[in-house]
Amino acid sequence: MTTNQGAEKAKVIEATNLVKNYGDRRAVDGISFTVHAGECFGLLGPNGAGKTTTFKMIYGSAQITSGELFVLGLNAKSHIQKIKSSIGVVPQENGLDPDFTALENLQIYANYFGIAEKAARDRAMELLSMMQLEDYAEKSIDTLSGGMKRRLTLARALISKPKLIFLDEPTTGLDPQARIWIWDELRSLQKQGTTLFLTTHYMEEAEELCDRLIIVNKGRTVAEGRPQELIESYVGREVVEFEIGPKEVEYFVSKIKDRFAYQVMRNRLKLFVRGQQTTRDAINEVSSQNVTMRKASLNDVFLKISGYELND
Amino acid sequence: MTNSFVKGFIADLFYFPKIGRGVHCIWQRNFLYFRQTIFTSITWIFVEPLLYLFALGYGLGRYVNQVEGLSYAEFIAPSMMATSGMFVAFFEGTYGTYTKLTRQNTYQTVILTPVSPDEVLIGEILWVTTKAFISVLSVAIVLTLMGLLPLAGIIPALGVLFLMCWVFASIGVWLASLAKSYEWFTYSQSGFIMPMSLFCGTYFPLSQLPKYLKYFSNILPLTHVMMSVRMFLHGEVTSMFLINIIYLIALGAIFTNLAAARFVRRLVF
Repeated sequence: MTTNQGAEKAKVIEATNLVKNYGDRRAVDGISFTVHAGECFGLLGPNGAGKTTTFKMIYGSAQITSGELFVLGLNAKSHIQKIKSSIGVVPQENGLDPDFTALENLQIYANYFGIAEKAARDRAMELLSMMQLEDYAEKSIDTLSGGMKRRLTLARALISKPKLIFLDEPTTGLDPQARIWIWDELRSLQKQGTTLFLTTHYMEEAEELCDRLIIVNKGRTVAEGRPQELIESYVGREVVEFEIGPKEVEYFVSKIKDRFAYQVMRNRLKLFVRGQQTTRDAINEVSSQNVTMRKASLNDVFLKISGYELND
Repeated sequence: MTNSFVKGFIADLFYFPKIGRGVHCIWQRNFLYFRQTIFTSITWIFVEPLLYLFALGYGLGRYVNQVEGLSYAEFIAPSMMATSGMFVAFFEGTYGTYTKLTRQNTYQTVILTPVSPDEVLIGEILWVTTKAFISVLSVAIVLTLMGLLPLAGIIPALGVLFLMCWVFASIGVWLASLAKSYEWFTYSQSGFIMPMSLFCGTYFPLSQLPKYLKYFSNILPLTHVMMSVRMFLHGEVTSMFLINIIYLIALGAIFTNLAAARFVRRLVF
């Protein structure tokens, strides 16, 4: 019994068969997953896959059509207000209040959590300097750059020192420096014991940050695991990419299809190197003017699973 | 279809929002913004009724001998308070709330915190009520200084006006939670609020209205406000005012519940 309870505690989020309908449209179609304390868990998928909707159900901004959901051991259907007092959320749209300055945004948000005025101000100043925004404390939101707004939104999510943080596409639309800066910040949060749950459609971001992830497409889970495991099981160690003429595709595919895992993307043929196979084996199979060899990445997994076609 | 609409409407009528300290947080947020813009807000609140007073009370009023034993300026003084409060409540409740609901995403952010959608809605209605009542008070001060308001009876009259602010705040916020665009408010403004400011015993006694219009006028909330406010300020106080007050409370409660049900569904769907 005691050990059992210990195991229960480690589960921060437990979702079983989550379904969300918007009128006739099914946005989330039976997603299940478990997030453990202290890990960084990723929810990946193309635009419109149901990531944001799943997220919104977890933090109470969307109603759950059906399924079971427990967050921090509480039933999300009946205890959502209590759940919200112990989590931090970075929504996709920053939702910063344009009527107020950066500092006031944090102070007002702190007030919603019932943090006393003095403590709220101290915490807000501390977070502003952590996010390198102290010079902008008294500036209005409209004067901040995209990266600054994102950092301020992250600061806002941290105001109540939550142990569980939701980040909906934390770095979408940011320049490379801003992105790396946010990644470092998230890593250090995780080191301090914070559980991170993020959505992204940047595979690089997921590979950098996530301990475990699920890939969703059209409202369903299509893959689940650690990034490295997924790469190895879906694609392999390495990828050899050939640029070939459209007429040759069929010929080469028929030649290799029994021996190699592959994917065709318009005039490119990707061979996935796995198990005992070597890159040299792959290269010798196809004749092409333009050959690229590289390590397999989550990007290959994603394209293989969700397909090459645009699907929004 | 119609049946389910009626059922939904009745369910909404009995949607009683659950509230706690979050209401105060929302009120504070709005007050903080108001404090920043207090100068423009208050100036406008003072200037607008003064314009009316000069144009109607002293301009048109010259041609009017007396209305119900009062000079015309005295007669329309209570209407200045009432219409000012009504307009502020309606504008803040509709345009203000709708902007925060749609364009600024203010509430979507608030509900990420322990403050519930119910509390957001009630906090918003309370704030709109407060702001409208501030305008009633400002106008009352000006009118008193000009000697147009008798001090006896002012307290119960202000009580009725506070109720009125709540009624129009809840109607405004209800409309905001239904609206698909800003156009909605233009229609309700010219079809409902403007006519009401003219035909509810504000600028001429109700007895001047044709019989059927008089019946119609009795449904309108502002008529009940004017009846009881005039009674407290200038008339003989009878228990009639109880009817006015009960009617206003009923309207306020109905529209608060309707607004809450709609607003919450719109925020979390």
